[in-house]
Amino acid sequence: MNRSRLFLGAIALIVVVILINSTFFIVNQAEQVLVLRFGQVKQTVTAPGLHVKAPFIDDVVRYDARLLAVDPPPEEVILGDQKRIVVDTYTRYRISNPLQFYQAVRNEDGAAARLREVVNNAVRKVLGNVMLPSVLSPERESIMHDIQQQVSEASKPLGITVADVRIRRADLPPETSQAIFRRMQSERQREAAEARAQGQEKAQEIRARAERERTVILAEAQRQSEILRGEGDALSTKTFADAYSQDPGFFAFYRSLQAYKQALSGADTTYLLSPDTDFFRFFAKAPSPTGGN
Amino acid sequence: MSWKEPGSGGGPWGGGQGPWGRGSGGSGPPNLDDLLRKGGERFRRFMPGGGFGGSQIVSLVILILLVLWGIGGFYTVAQDEVGVVLRFGAFDRITPPGLHYHLPSPIETVRYPPVTRINRTEIGFRSPLGEGMRSPTGAELGNENLMLTGDENIVDINFSVFWQIKDPEQYLFDIRDPEGTVKVVAESAMREVIGQLPIVAPLSEQRTAIAQRTRDRMQQLLDAYRAGITVVQVQLLKADPPAEVIDAFNDVQRAKADQERTGNEAEAYRNGIIPVARGDAERIVQEAEAYKEQTVDLAQGDAQRFLSVLAAYKAAPDVTERRLYIDTMEEVLKNAQKVMIDPNARGVIPYLPLPELAKGRPLPAPSASSASPSAPPIVSVAPSVTGAGK
Repeated sequence: MNRSRLFLGAIALIVVVILINSTFFIVNQAEQVLVLRFGQVKQTVTAPGLHVKAPFIDDVVRYDARLLAVDPPPEEVILGDQKRIVVDTYTRYRISNPLQFYQAVRNEDGAAARLREVVNNAVRKVLGNVMLPSVLSPERESIMHDIQQQVSEASKPLGITVADVRIRRADLPPETSQAIFRRMQSERQREAAEARAQGQEKAQEIRARAERERTVILAEAQRQSEILRGEGDALSTKTFADAYSQDPGFFAFYRSLQAYKQALSGADTTYLLSPDTDFFRFFAKAPSPTGGN
Repeated sequence: MSWKEPGSGGGPWGGGQGPWGRGSGGSGPPNLDDLLRKGGERFRRFMPGGGFGGSQIVSLVILILLVLWGIGGFYTVAQDEVGVVLRFGAFDRITPPGLHYHLPSPIETVRYPPVTRINRTEIGFRSPLGEGMRSPTGAELGNENLMLTGDENIVDINFSVFWQIKDPEQYLFDIRDPEGTVKVVAESAMREVIGQLPIVAPLSEQRTAIAQRTRDRMQQLLDAYRAGITVVQVQLLKADPPAEVIDAFNDVQRAKADQERTGNEAEAYRNGIIPVARGDAERIVQEAEAYKEQTVDLAQGDAQRFLSVLAAYKAAPDVTERRLYIDTMEEVLKNAQKVMIDPNARGVIPYLPLPELAKGRPLPAPSASSASPSAPPIVSVAPSVTGAGK
């Protein structure tokens, strides 16, 4: 008797637990829930907490209530100026209408697939009308805004709110990057050559100026020098003239004697002298017999 | 599906076994399935022992289980965390670090976001995970380090974002994958900022401003996403030209150094020659001054001497003239070699061993003529005499 009573008790306990389990359900803070009865949406629960449903016949479908991510792979897009760039976008959205979401895409995978498509279209459409310089300018903000606007509009029927669509990267394709690198290189080479040439230019200028300055300084000195020498010469000439003009006859005599003394008094001079000269006037007088003959 | 979900803690955010729940799940109360199984085991174990008192034992077991279940509600919040308590999955309260109690699972559960921890997200590079490990290259990271600048150049940028949980409620319940979102937002913001500037900006001292702008932009976006994250700092670690062109960039730096160097060399040249020239100029002028004074002084001396002699001469002209002449001749002839020839001695052939001629200096003739102009024949004689002497 005991055995069967306990057995029945255990069965009852299990049944109660199963009943509780299928009647109550928890909605988490980060969730929202659709209650389905035989596949028919009966109720949308967005408030977190403990909730009740009909056991066994009602099903719950849970959706995330948080900000969700779709990161499509990078794509090559042709811009309005026929330049190609690789655009990598990211999208953040929330499931705002679980019922619509359930009907349109069922689950997040379905939503992600649809969103990728929508984003791709919007990116191509918007970027197809802009030039590369606009992407690389403050206009980028409004471009992204346009894309977001279009994605928002197109994804409304999916029961989602697009929080943001942004360009994560907008890069040039690899082959274009190589061209850019070459251009950067040549630009730097030009800059380097210019810097060096400017250095040369400046150096030449400095040197030339310095040399000019030196020449001018020396010439100035020469000029002053000649003036000074001329003054000296003039003064001495005048002094001589003043003195000598007092007796030109005596000057000639006196100066000649001085010149003889200076010019002829060396030991290496040999004189062939005639005793007839005035200097030997008395010298020649004594041996007069020769002269007398 | 619905049957399993509520009690088993199976959903990602359900019971204590979620990615965050390390407290209540492990040491906390066993879930319903366990309870049932364990209860059954004990039930059977007591069966053969005694027929009576079965219901008492069952009550006791149930009581113990209830107590154990209740004890599972104690939890500790570490110093760098807060406890976020959920009642039936709904946000209920936030508890500070320390020991706390919550109603046992599945009624209440706790999650522990690390709110004081500063998280770091790296973009363009990854720190090596351990000693001796290699950091991946830019290409391995999908070139996330290469960014297009406003003047259509490419710059290689590495930066770190430091962020912190600002609002644990938002962080936990309003955003999925907050870390991944921080990364894409950081990249997007940095590229937006870099894409509006010329390449020289990130390569120059504008780096701080760029980091600041990126931080502000990120904060703006994350706030719009209700991510509950505050960006503490954006740190621009590296902003270089890409490896492919870095040589060219470095050459520009070298060229600028060269430019300065050539300029300096020229300045040095100038500084070398100008003072020398000034010195030379001064010397030239001083020499000229010296010459001038010397010339004038000499002239004055000579003139004065002449005047003195003139004054004396005027006192006795004849005698003085004679005396001056004789004095001079005396001096002139004193040291010189002399040959006296009598023009009247015509029969004699003069033999002249002139030392000047021997030394190759044919100078006697002028001196002879100046000394005694009245003796021309001797000059003509001299060469033949020399020839005879040899």
